[in-house]
Amino acid sequence: MPVKIITFGRIKDITGSGDIFFDGAADTNQLIRQLHERYPALANTLYIVAVDKEIISGNTGLSGENTVALLPPYSGG
Amino acid sequence: MSVQGLKFLNMKETKPKNIFIQGSVQPGFIADSIQKHSTKTNIGGHSIFLGQVRNDLIGEQRVKAIEYTSYEEMALEKMHEIRESIFKKYDLTCMHVYHSLGLVPAGEISLFVFTSSAHRKAAIDACEETVEKIKSELPVWGKEIFEDESYQWKENK
Repeated sequence: MPVKIITFGRIKDITGSGDIFFDGAADTNQLIRQLHERYPALANTLYIVAVDKEIISGNTGLSGENTVALLPPYSGG
Repeated sequence: MSVQGLKFLNMKETKPKNIFIQGSVQPGFIADSIQKHSTKTNIGGHSIFLGQVRNDLIGEQRVKAIEYTSYEEMALEKMHEIRESIFKKYDLTCMHVYHSLGLVPAGEISLFVFTSSAHRKAAIDACEETVEKIKSELPVWGKEIFEDESYQWKENK
């Protein structure tokens, strides 16, 4: 089962609307490397990563049932 | 403990509730929200923060509106955590938070934070801390729309 990637704000401008699915990434480092290959503009963009709504601070294993969110700096309020 | 005391204690244990409303927060909605507190006669002070969309001039372009989007599921969980931490720290009677999604024109309200307590200090401090946490911890994004429909992504300062 592929990992689902959801994006927001300025990251969505890069990846387009619509959810992205990726097969075969064992952890977030691999996934991010693959995402950067597909969307080179990501390399110049600031974001943090959440796996299943929890912000991660290091490489995190992916089971294939995870939702990975790319979150640019917040600007609510 | 009195029945009334128990009732207010229970209010502190609410499940994640929706804070998002489509479009701007209407002044009438704020007025109604204030009115509803007249039955809670143990309250001695309210503190209200209203965030309003500013028509910033950026270069030659003026902001005419902000369009808000959010990772709603995560934001509601995060808001629940913020709410719990604020209730632990301050002796509040109640707290209400509303944030806009979608388009909010300049001059209209996009954030409404309302805290109430027996005494003013807890209400004021809790309100301020809640606003700061909302700005820094809630996954919400503002897109500043200019008069010619071009845009830039807002950055919180």
